[in-house]
Amino acid sequence: MNFGIEDSAEQGAFRDEVRAFLATAVPDNLEHAIDPVDMSYEQYQIRRALGRKLGAKGWLYPSMPVEYGGGDLSAEKVVILHDELSRVGLALPPYYDSGGKMAAPTILVWGTDEHKKRFLPPICRGEVRTWQLLSEPSAGSDLAGVKTTAVRDGDVYRVNGQKIFVGSSHGADYSWTIVVTDPKGERHKNLSWLMIPMNLPGITVQPMDLLATGGEAGSGSGVKNAVFFDDVRVPADHLVGGENNGWKVATTHLEVEHGGTGRLADRRVIYDFIEMCRDRRDGYAICDDAGARAEIVDLYIEAEITRLFALRNHWLAHTGQPRSYEGAQYSLRRKLSGLDMAEKMLRIAGPCVLTKDEKWGPLKGAIEYFQRDAITALHPGATTDIQKVVISRRLGIGGREKEKAGTLR
Amino acid sequence: MDLSLNDTQQLIQDSARDFVRGSCSREALLEIDRKPQLFMQGIWPQMAELGWTGMAIPETYGGTGNCATDVAVLFEELGAGPVPGPLFSSAVLCARILLDSATEEAKRAWLPLIASGERVFALALTEAQYGWSSQGVKLAARGEREGFVLNGTKVFVHDAERATDLIVVGRIEGGEGISLFRVDAKTPGVTVRPLAGFIAGMSEVVFDNAHVRGADLIGQGGAAADEIERALIAVTPVLCAYKVGGCRAVFDLSLNYARERTQFGQVIGRFQRVQDHLIHMVNFLDSARWTTYEALWKLDSGMDAASSVHVAKSVSSESYMRACDYAHEVHAGIGVMREYGLTLHTRMSRSLYHCLGAPKTHRQRLEKVLGLVNG
Ligand SMILES: Cc1cc2nc3c(=O)[nH]c(=O)nc-3n(C[C@H](O)[C@H](O)[C@H](O)COP(=O)(O)OP(=O)(O)OC[C@H]3O[C@@H](n4cnc5c(N)ncnc54)[C@H](O)[C@@H]3O)c2cc1C
Repeated sequence: MNFGIEDSAEQGAFRDEVRAFLATAVPDNLEHAIDPVDMSYEQYQIRRALGRKLGAKGWLYPSMPVEYGGGDLSAEKVVILHDELSRVGLALPPYYDSGGKMAAPTILVWGTDEHKKRFLPPICRGEVRTWQLLSEPSAGSDLAGVKTTAVRDGDVYRVNGQKIFVGSSHGADYSWTIVVTDPKGERHKNLSWLMIPMNLPGITVQPMDLLATGGEAGSGSGVKNAVFFDDVRVPADHLVGGENNGWKVATTHLEVEHGGTGRLADRRVIYDFIEMCRDRRDGYAICDDAGARAEIVDLYIEAEITRLFALRNHWLAHTGQPRSYEGAQYSLRRKLSGLDMAEKMLRIAGPCVLTKDEKWGPLKGAIEYFQRDAITALHPGATTDIQKVVISRRLGIGGREKEKAGTLR
Repeated sequence: MDLSLNDTQQLIQDSARDFVRGSCSREALLEIDRKPQLFMQGIWPQMAELGWTGMAIPETYGGTGNCATDVAVLFEELGAGPVPGPLFSSAVLCARILLDSATEEAKRAWLPLIASGERVFALALTEAQYGWSSQGVKLAARGEREGFVLNGTKVFVHDAERATDLIVVGRIEGGEGISLFRVDAKTPGVTVRPLAGFIAGMSEVVFDNAHVRGADLIGQGGAAADEIERALIAVTPVLCAYKVGGCRAVFDLSLNYARERTQFGQVIGRFQRVQDHLIHMVNFLDSARWTTYEALWKLDSGMDAASSVHVAKSVSSESYMRACDYAHEVHAGIGVMREYGLTLHTRMSRSLYHCLGAPKTHRQRLEKVLGLVNG
């Protein structure tokens, strides 16, 4: 076994290359909003520009095939890339984009050649941004129960319905949307996925006011929205994965979202918090207290486990090995340990973790945001309960045949 | 043995429940959250009218002299709101400190005004090195001919932004121990600054050469550590009852939601995982409830209540926070929409977690009471 990522001269050289690239590509005026909701349009544009620069090198979605604008990098190089970005407070992609994260790996499996050639390169090069539109007011965990309809009418689908908890701030070019194409059809055999251009007439985006937005480090999602479709006419060739075959496509999408393709965990806030506990002021440090130390150690251990689950999934994915419960296991762990860590921070450091006050809020308010986000992050992707359902099926608990993971590349 | 409420308590509960349903509906509380000034204009006069500002104050000083359990029954209902604000700080905590420690003259001067709701008191104890004991207190009181000059910073002071008066804990220069001062919040040199974020009703209070009169020294100078400790034992279970109310509200909300929300063609309450969340919640609720009410009974019966108080505070703080966690599990997406109202509790459960001493502090006290450590 070898957990190392930098055991060849080539990898060392790659790290140098990435570092040199970032030194010039990341502009000085890039700001890091603690709460993604606070990211301005200008800052969003700065991040998009950086995304295009990364995309031009195939580094925006480094695991995607080169022919579609990815980098096809080795597992180690992807880790190095993430490492170096996280060093400057960024993640891949450096802004919210479900297109590269979830739609692209799904299209790679289910799209026709024509779909792949049309949709993937602009995504991988960072030219477009996409939101994922799955949840509806009456269909959250029960994704197969969505009601938004897409009715074929000549060479378009007419889409009507509502999605919630979707997207982010500052708009999108596409929405990767699950819809009902056969309202009378059997459950799981009535769904399809549409790549809907967001500039079509009849689409309304309405911001939602949430406790937090549950984003990943460095690329939090910003304001979540309700999106309304009022007789939106979507070209029929934007249907990906076959009409009424959408549930199968969904299992791939969900596998990716749950972390089945591997994710590199970056919970910088935890390491910064530990640093803060060591910090001595007026002769006093949080870690002077034995009880606090014990909890800090627990925090650290939890962060290590979560990090290693993510690393394992990343390795499994990049070496093309079969996966079963691992994606859901990582997701569940991340959710539950996130909440537990937030509460430990409250216990350890006191009410200061609840404020973003300039003077009293630790880490410029990053801990305050984490307090809210850890609660919110229990839900995106699928609730903890649903992750447990998935794990149980994959393990074959209860003696039934084991369920297979969603199809991945 | 009789674990039910008596007639008086039943009446208190009924009127408080009506009030919370009427004047402190979810919409009203969300509105107050957006515009905090609405509270003192709209809700506070009604509370005073109902006599709640005087419940914990003896008749001699203009109150109705209810026992701790009576007061707790009210606070359980307020916690169910959660109705924010200074009622606990002023009419329970500070009233108790004045009752226990102030001179007769000071009691006659201030308690009736607290009882009528005209004056609102808050306790400014905690500082940068946070804690509800006297250890962290650095605020300096320099003696001068007519009184004292205060310099220092208090932080995470509950309800200071709504207070007309502060009871400030400081050290008299050249003296031993810590002391209590009544300070008019409008005194030049006193600045109250509310803190922003996932925090409810806490402020920084800066004292920059704030002058107080000699008569505003409350209690025996230097003895505040004991004076505060005594008052905290007496009032902590009332705050615990507020958290019991919080646990109850989020449990009820979740139970109802689990009966109504359908997914996969059935109500989500059918799923055993959802049942588990609710079972955790009801366990937290009942643990908080019974530890709290036994502590109250001991206090009202004149028994030594210390061990029960420490248990109740540890349990109720932890229970309220965790009950909110499980409420979020049950509700998923809708629960984090601010307009739904659950997050008012979530934030309150965190904001009150350390108030009057964190569970950890009370556990450490319990170690002593149980004779596990010396001192
Ligand atoms: C911050 C945030 C970001 C999000 N981002 C997106 C996004 O970008 N795109 C998108 O499409 N959606 C998004 N969502 C929506 C998210 O996917 C849903 O909230 C989630 O799947 C749960 O659905 P629900 O909220 O309707 O809860 P429900 O499905 O109504 O669940 C309620 C309760 O029932 C339980 N439950 C339901 N079914 C079962 C079962 N079979 N077994 C056991 N328990 C069950 C749940 O675990 C939960 O406890 C986001 C949500 C949040 C909060």
